[in-house]
Amino acid sequence: MSDEVEFSLTVDGTAHQVTARWSESLLTVLRDRLGVRGPKTGCAHGRCGACAVRADLGDGEPHVLCACLVPAATAAGGIVDTIASIGGPDGELSDVQEAFLAEGAVQCGICTAGFVTAATELLADNPDPSRTEIEQALYGNLCRCTGYGRIVAAVETAARTRREATR
Amino acid sequence: MLLAAPRFALPETVAEALTALAERPEAVVVAGGTEVMPDLLWRNRSAAGFVSLRRVRALRGSTDAAGDLVMGAGTPVAALTSAPDAGLRAAASSLGTPLVRTEATIGGNVVSALPYRNLLPTLLASGATLELSSATGVRTVPFDGFITAPGRTRLAEGELLTAVRLPRHAGFADYTKVGRRNAQFVATVSAAIVSRHGGARLAFGNAGPTPLRSDAVDAVATALLDGQAEAGDLRAAVAGAVDPPEDAVASADYRRHALGVLAVRLVTRAAVDAGMGS
Repeated sequence: MSDEVEFSLTVDGTAHQVTARWSESLLTVLRDRLGVRGPKTGCAHGRCGACAVRADLGDGEPHVLCACLVPAATAAGGIVDTIASIGGPDGELSDVQEAFLAEGAVQCGICTAGFVTAATELLADNPDPSRTEIEQALYGNLCRCTGYGRIVAAVETAARTRREATR
Repeated sequence: MLLAAPRFALPETVAEALTALAERPEAVVVAGGTEVMPDLLWRNRSAAGFVSLRRVRALRGSTDAAGDLVMGAGTPVAALTSAPDAGLRAAASSLGTPLVRTEATIGGNVVSALPYRNLLPTLLASGATLELSSATGVRTVPFDGFITAPGRTRLAEGELLTAVRLPRHAGFADYTKVGRRNAQFVATVSAAIVSRHGGARLAFGNAGPTPLRSDAVDAVATALLDGQAEAGDLRAAVAGAVDPPEDAVASADYRRHALGVLAVRLVTRAAVDAGMGS
């Protein structure tokens, strides 16, 4: 009996026809089948957030989720935006990414794409988050290098910069 | 059906899901995937296929019906963090992480049937009922007794959990748990309370092989709420009623003690809420 399923998936604006095992995770499909390496494999069980992507999987509003927890075939026909969709087409950094750089919120880098993805969603929903709200929004992302202080500061800086720019 | 393969089905309606399951009786029903995917990764379980409920729109969202809050089994835990029930909000808010809560569902939490699952003590304390759908119709059963052993339920073959019904009430409700650390932790033990009309109803997680409650415990909890019993009386009643597991996380003695502490803590919060002081 065939273990494979075929489905379409749009990743960072590019439509793909995917053939994968029915139990394969969205993260495996992104990284190993489509060569999309923005989402990282950290814990692979939904704790660290290194694989966070924004997805519209036809099951409600688009939202950030752990790609490692989603069976890829259940996302058939869905739209996935990774960290590559957050920066500009020629590699320009977003305001959140610039703030991460400016505040020294990046060390080894494995968690960064996930943090930026979660922080970008937070600021889209809440342009002026409190420190507590930032910590709650980033609760599903782990960083073993920075101690989180610089990351929270980066999100505060990004929020402030964006508010000042739109004033 | 959005996608169908010998070992996989992606239905859009409950009827399609029931048909897909009938055609693949060995398949695992997967909603958010937050439990099944790690289990497969770690080979804690095998699966002969998936019937996914992700795209069954009718299973998502909540409605009011005859005094009950009716939650579709596919409603994500994230939505429950703002549910009109304080016990459910507390249990949902401390489940996993925000990135897990958007995928994990109330139905998955119930059907996974493990005694430490966050939502279960709240459902037991609240007197929740479950809607189970099959090709022959829908039956409603109490949540109390639905779980028969860790990971085992009274769900019949070919049957799906389609909704969880919680009686609406104006009383006090809360949930609390303890674990080995303060972030992203699974409950070593947990407890939930619903308090109304001067009475207290408690339920416990990881206090036995299945979610557990006891009339004897509730009688002492109600007396404590009324100032007619001491905290030690409730701790003793809880210790006598529970049969907690012993494992690498904690001893049965620790769990028995901690369950008593949580019970007193919740009754104290209910007393404060009722204006009876701390």
